[in-house]
Amino acid sequence: MTISISQSLIQSSLPISQGAEAKVYKAQLTPDSPPILLKYRFQKNYRHPFLDANLTRSRIAGEARALLKCLRSGINVPGIRMVDATEGVLGIEWIEGHSVRKLLPGGAEDDGSDDVDNVDVIDSVNLNEYGVSVDELMKLIGVEIAKMHQVDVIHGDLTTSNMILRQPGSFVPPQNHDIKTALVLIDFGLSYQSTLAEDKAVDLYVLERAFSSTHPDSEPMFAKVLAGYAEIMAGDWPAIKHRLDDVRLRGRKRSMVG
Amino acid sequence: MELFRFNHYVAYALLFSPVNDPGQIKKRIIDAARATGSEGEEEREAVNFSFIDASLITSRLHLETAIHQAIIAESQGSLRTKTVHSEILFGLNPTNNITEAIRRYGVSETSKALLVVRITDSSNAISNLETKMKEVVSGIAVPFEELSKVTDWEKIEKYHKLPNEVTEKADVARARALIDNVAVSSVAMKSVVQ
Repeated sequence: MTISISQSLIQSSLPISQGAEAKVYKAQLTPDSPPILLKYRFQKNYRHPFLDANLTRSRIAGEARALLKCLRSGINVPGIRMVDATEGVLGIEWIEGHSVRKLLPGGAEDDGSDDVDNVDVIDSVNLNEYGVSVDELMKLIGVEIAKMHQVDVIHGDLTTSNMILRQPGSFVPPQNHDIKTALVLIDFGLSYQSTLAEDKAVDLYVLERAFSSTHPDSEPMFAKVLAGYAEIMAGDWPAIKHRLDDVRLRGRKRSMVG
Repeated sequence: MELFRFNHYVAYALLFSPVNDPGQIKKRIIDAARATGSEGEEEREAVNFSFIDASLITSRLHLETAIHQAIIAESQGSLRTKTVHSEILFGLNPTNNITEAIRRYGVSETSKALLVVRITDSSNAISNLETKMKEVVSGIAVPFEELSKVTDWEKIEKYHKLPNEVTEKADVARARALIDNVAVSSVAMKSVVQ
């Protein structure tokens, strides 16, 4: 065979989007299988081939390990469906739903639509379909991040685009629970492990900046995120809150070198 | 017979439940591996399947993922075990211990239900596959959907070191969905386990 298994899988799948690091596809391993999302870290010709292969392999391994750790701890993240580190392919569970960015006002602006008012109307309808209010959604976000921080996983790239609200009916919801959706954290490509309050505070700060630069009047929304977060973190919250205040004053980088 | 049609490969799976005398099947596989000459070749071909303890498979997706990862490893020449069929067993076990993988996930004296799997190039159809599987396994071949009736969730939880606050707090359906997702994910990422 001249073409590898994973390359052939990519060729038969549907391209979704492309970034600087990876291309994303919707695929199926067999015609009878559930859909999966392929994240293909293509070859970077600006890097030495040896370094490129090593970086690709370790990033895929890192992302897969973070996902498994989160899954085991009951955090809502997509399951892993295939790994081909040699070819740079990571396959994860396909989550049916919308990104939080698109569900909040202002988030859909650069999606090629010029009629902003119209977009806002469509968006608010969308959020109703999930049966949650904006306040409830903010709490869900805070709770999920707190659960992740409790097991010392730092996401590294928290934005409203990296959170998906699951479409009701596309999973097994908990019994005796009014909320029929779930907030799923995605894209663990920049994640790492840390117990430090500093790293957790920076994770939150990055999200706060993402909120304020994407969504108008985000301050009350982000306050609700922190309230949900604080409730779960309980005793660990004061130290992180203190750090977050420091980080806000000085920015994301602790040292000014580089 | 359940079919898994991957791009260049096809895998066939037949579920036997219950299975009679699994110890004899195990003995036959070991003897085939030791046999020499053309008789040995023939005997090895007769048992050229993956024999999986069906009680440790959580879902169709779980088996499919294990097969797919074994096919990737074989195509890249990175098999950790001798054949693509034993690689499935290796992939299913969360640790890197091959003996443990075969003892836990392969056929043993105590196996009650077996999944018999054969992987082949999609251009090479094998004739009478079902007959050949039934020739090796004495038991009742049942529809693949019966798999859910033989799953031993407690054992799977134990092997994945799961029982934790999360699975204990959740209701049965949710706990099983979580165990299945962890089992599938762990098979998928086996090649990059530390």
